Amino acid sequence: MAADKIGIEMPLFEKLRILSDAAKYDVSCTSSGVDRKGDGTGIGNCHAAGICHSFAADGRCVSLLKILFTNECIFDCKYCINRSSNDVERASFTPDEVCTLTIEFYRRNYIEGLFLSSGILKSPNYTMELIYATIYKLRRTYHFQGYIHVKAIPGTDEELIRRIGFLADRMSVNLELPTAESLRLLAPHKTRRNILAPMRLVQNAMAENKQELALYRSAPRFVPAGQSTQMIIGATPENDYQILNVAESLYQKFGLKRVFYSAYVSVNADAALPVKYKEGTGGEPPLLREHRLYQADWLLRFYQFEAHELLDEKNPNFNVLLDPKCDWAIRHLEQFPVEVNKARYEMLLRVPGVGVKSALRIVKARRMGNVTFDDLKKMGVVLKRAVYFLTCNGKMMYSSVRIDEDYITRNLLSAGERLPDSVTGLSYRQLSLFDDQNFTSRSVESIVAG
Amino acid sequence: MKTVYLCSQTMNGIYSALYDAWKRSRDEEAGIAFKDMVEHQLFCEYVEVKEEERKGVAVDRLIRNHLGERAYWDIYHALLSEDAGRADAVFRVLRDARTIKDSRKIMEHLTNPAVEKVFELKRRVANEAHLFVEFIRFRELEGGVLFSEIAPKNRVLTCFGDHFSDRFPLENWLIYDRTHKEVLLHRANMHWILMSGEELDDELTERVTDKEREFAHLWKGFFRAIAIAERTNPLCQRTHLPLRFRKDMLEFEAF
Repeated sequence: MAADKIGIEMPLFEKLRILSDAAKYDVSCTSSGVDRKGDGTGIGNCHAAGICHSFAADGRCVSLLKILFTNECIFDCKYCINRSSNDVERASFTPDEVCTLTIEFYRRNYIEGLFLSSGILKSPNYTMELIYATIYKLRRTYHFQGYIHVKAIPGTDEELIRRIGFLADRMSVNLELPTAESLRLLAPHKTRRNILAPMRLVQNAMAENKQELALYRSAPRFVPAGQSTQMIIGATPENDYQILNVAESLYQKFGLKRVFYSAYVSVNADAALPVKYKEGTGGEPPLLREHRLYQADWLLRFYQFEAHELLDEKNPNFNVLLDPKCDWAIRHLEQFPVEVNKARYEMLLRVPGVGVKSALRIVKARRMGNVTFDDLKKMGVVLKRAVYFLTCNGKMMYSSVRIDEDYITRNLLSAGERLPDSVTGLSYRQLSLFDDQNFTSRSVESIVAG
Repeated sequence: MKTVYLCSQTMNGIYSALYDAWKRSRDEEAGIAFKDMVEHQLFCEYVEVKEEERKGVAVDRLIRNHLGERAYWDIYHALLSEDAGRADAVFRVLRDARTIKDSRKIMEHLTNPAVEKVFELKRRVANEAHLFVEFIRFRELEGGVLFSEIAPKNRVLTCFGDHFSDRFPLENWLIYDRTHKEVLLHRANMHWILMSGEELDDELTERVTDKEREFAHLWKGFFRAIAIAERTNPLCQRTHLPLRFRKDMLEFEAF
């Protein structure tokens, strides 16, 4: 077993410290996607919306016990802290230790479930067998019905992934880097093909399972919360357009639930990588860029946008100063203003300041009577952005509003964007330095004009 | 002349007041106020309500039958708040529900000020309850009972009775509300119950097992290790996890 490599003497506290520290760069900590009541024989249940249980010092939510099974690794991915050529403390859990930690944390309401990833011990199959043994025990011996998210290791046998899929709620294979070329450069032991293979496998197995469930309601469920993946942003020179296209095709062709973006935190000094992070000297994680990607990701998933509408070859990076939706609207002023009482739902979704909820409310409310700007405010429309793009009963909110690119850009900028705290933690100077490449000539002009 | 029904702040008191007000004054000018915080006004008649269980049962049924299950839960949650006008707002909602075509849709009439108030109160209570579902921490006392202590602004305990019963069906657990001196108690394989007017024996709740100390220590270690130093952001952390919750969460204690 894994423990004999390390010596069983290492206290559990040390192991947990090392193996959670090593797992922290994985973004996904969601416990969403599946609703399951407890069956009364054990412990646990799941809520579709997911539940956070704490928030760490970096403001990220702690929902699952996020750990590596082991940080031993035979691979040498350049960006990874656990690569085989790094001299770091190594540790491995035993399946029993992981079970005990999960159950004892869970019953104290510390966590929503387990997120189990791993370095590669001996071989992908050997490691995944250990992971399978762990979650089998958790499900069958402890009757644990909370959330389990398992990372699949590229190169694992198909049959093993299938077995795990029937025990886990969510599976994910990390895409790591947006292009095959970058992957070759930074993760010499991984190929695009053996990352996509398990992804496809899970997708197909989920589709088969759906048919089984239609026939037999009590058939075991395969990865009921779907699969996700993550990409590292900023370690390689891909532009936002490439990244967004990759995300889009993952949603369309692989039916993924979520694509996560992880601003690269430089932990290794390597000629192939950006400079190592040291306070004040650059190398800060590109947080604004990560934020813009998430905004665009939402536009793809909930607002019926397509990647090529938001960015293109000539304009391959996001605007630093405007969010992608405002940016799109300003480039397509010929489609505005939109009449609230007549516009199609799809068009309402594209108006800056109108979200999915408020668009639905508008559609509902206008059946009862004419909607006015006052009503919009109550429905949660952000008028300081929406006024430039909407009319109610044929009238703009203020007669002084002009449909003019410079005018609107200037006003949107002075209205300000409420960036999440995760981005504003940095000073403006740091942001602009690091996100230089995202500057478009138009945004420069608008600053000058403002 | 306006009739104002006076009751105590208990659930039973409010339900009894709703019963009386509904029975006698549903078509007249009327309101409900709390005995201990009423501001007397001119041209009002004040009537003290006789509080009885049966009245509560009747009002409960009235609301469920005529306004539907959804509206019932909205109203129930609003009444768990500490707002001085909560009973009066609910009364006005019940009354206004009669004036619309489909009473079951009353909670959708958000332009009605009473509905808006009930909606707002319900949201406040439900939001706080949700935060406690996230942030409640149990510790294992000697004898294996899981114990948690919280200080909520609203009477949220009953909101998550079902949640934790479903989650920990085989455990004995109890959650103590310091603010309102109430206890939510669950015995293995049984339905939860709520007990009011409880004082806790501090000494008893401090007696934890060695195993408890070990896992608390492990959790604190995990909590520190999982944060990425390069992304440290206390403001963001505080937005999601306000300071008032932290005094009952072990990960914010000294290590």
